[in-house]
Amino acid sequence: MMVVTIREAILRGTLIFYFAVGNIIVAFVAFAIKASPDGSAVLVFGNSIPAKSLMGMSAADFLLIQLQRSSTSAIMFLGIFAVAGLIPSMLEKGTAELYLSKPLSRTSLFLSRSFGATIAIALNILYFALVIWALFGIKLGVWHSGFLLSCLMVAVAFVFYFSVVAFTSLLTRSQGFAIMLGFLFWFLSSALETRVLGLYKLWDNVIYHRTLDTLYYVTPQISGMLENATRLIGKNPFDRMLGPQATADFTIMPFIYSFLSASAIYALAARYFSKQDY
Amino acid sequence: MSIVQTQGLSKTFRSGLIKKARVEALKDVSLSVEAGEIFGLLGPNGAGKTTFVKILLSIAHATTGEAQVFDHALGALSIRQKCGYLPENHRYPQFLTGLQTLLLFGNLHGLKGRALKQKAQALLERVGLKDWMNVKIKRYSKGMLQRLGMAQALLNDPELLFLDEPTDGVDPVGRKEIRDVLKDLKVQGATIFLNSHLLSEVELICDRVAILNKGQVLKVGTISEITAPQLEYEIQLEGTVTERLLAIIKSSVAETHADARVLRVTVPDKLVLNQILDSIRKEGILIESVMPRRATLEDYFIKVLQSGEGS
Repeated sequence: MMVVTIREAILRGTLIFYFAVGNIIVAFVAFAIKASPDGSAVLVFGNSIPAKSLMGMSAADFLLIQLQRSSTSAIMFLGIFAVAGLIPSMLEKGTAELYLSKPLSRTSLFLSRSFGATIAIALNILYFALVIWALFGIKLGVWHSGFLLSCLMVAVAFVFYFSVVAFTSLLTRSQGFAIMLGFLFWFLSSALETRVLGLYKLWDNVIYHRTLDTLYYVTPQISGMLENATRLIGKNPFDRMLGPQATADFTIMPFIYSFLSASAIYALAARYFSKQDY
Repeated sequence: MSIVQTQGLSKTFRSGLIKKARVEALKDVSLSVEAGEIFGLLGPNGAGKTTFVKILLSIAHATTGEAQVFDHALGALSIRQKCGYLPENHRYPQFLTGLQTLLLFGNLHGLKGRALKQKAQALLERVGLKDWMNVKIKRYSKGMLQRLGMAQALLNDPELLFLDEPTDGVDPVGRKEIRDVLKDLKVQGATIFLNSHLLSEVELICDRVAILNKGQVLKVGTISEITAPQLEYEIQLEGTVTERLLAIIKSSVAETHADARVLRVTVPDKLVLNQILDSIRKEGILIESVMPRRATLEDYFIKVLQSGEGS
């Protein structure tokens, strides 16, 4: 069913569009960067950046961090657009009956549909990561394994994030609503990540603060995961102005919390799906 | 041997967030379908026919009652392994071709590779879509989609085939072809469960039927039981029916209908029929023919629904 889902995503054209957009970004990077003839600088659209030290780090590391940061949101958002329709399309009247009459349990139908969708995007992300990593290696001589690992973590983050979109797809049976609620959750996740500096100050109440904390821990920590994924490349020099918290070392905890909450959401969604009439 | 058995199956739908509206789609439905028969479930729109089939295939869940298909309780995957289903108003991904559609749904049945492709091609040929198999289905007509649906339902060589309004939107030639496919399947030993409101279609192919109205089963029987000849006759005359003759006949029969040269009577016994014939002769009118009248399934269906049973 996962293979069927990936094939369907390709045939729908949305995944091909996603792949094409990713390749445009890759081509853009390939065109933009090159090493200076003497190897002392990196040229970005012809502008020279000292290769050795830029804000305390190498130019390649700096560029990889900025590239990963700026493209991650786009990759995630476009990924949601590319595959969010796969679950609602399965639930349309006249189509749901066809799927549900086949000898597959609803749990495996839902999970394989969801994982098929996420794997399709995750494979795309890894492909782009590999190409950009190779570009930096070939053009600048920098083979940064941290970048590859970072992109792997972004792909994992997408799998966890998609649990929210998959569940809202089941509840609303609408691609549009699922996308909107998915984006809303993204912003909620960002707000929860910085709740101490932001949301806490809206109301000085212990119950309110504990509720925000609970929400933070029971939902996938999108911002936390992406932030930590970037740290696998290096510490973003621009984060220094945000204080010591922002420049902390990589921690796996957001991934573990998100894994647990995404598992719970997928389990809840599968249970809900198995009880519904179509 | 019963392939499908239900006991007191009921389904109540609830809708609305605060004030929940209740719709009783099925009320205490007990039915059985025997192996190898073509069973027709008849009823007007909204009678509960589709809900009944969906429950058997675990697409919807019964509120109360029990059911077994192939002696398995509902929900068992082995049931759906042996079943084919053509839903009403089925909808396929529009970006697929006919062949791709069958490959997709064949995969869900666990079929793979060359064997699946050959099977899909053969089925498309069987339903008359050979020349259309590589055309995207968004270009298909309603009748072609119905044929594709038939092919999809046959992918796993089902032992039990559920068809919900299979000839809906299909032209007369296509209907005949679908009937022929169903007859072939019956010969091969398949059991067919047909939901329809096209009574003439059902009458042509079904062994047994059940009439469902407002979620309740009103009647179950073979076509010949339901349409058995009653003491109803059509008398063709060579003269015009006179008022006096009509008055004599009306005094002795349960029901009379007269056109200029045709008299339809429902009599309590054959003696009364002969008395009527005598009266006609006494009036000097020649009798051309006397034909016992067999009720059609449609006659019976309308009569049952109009009598208000089940409401």
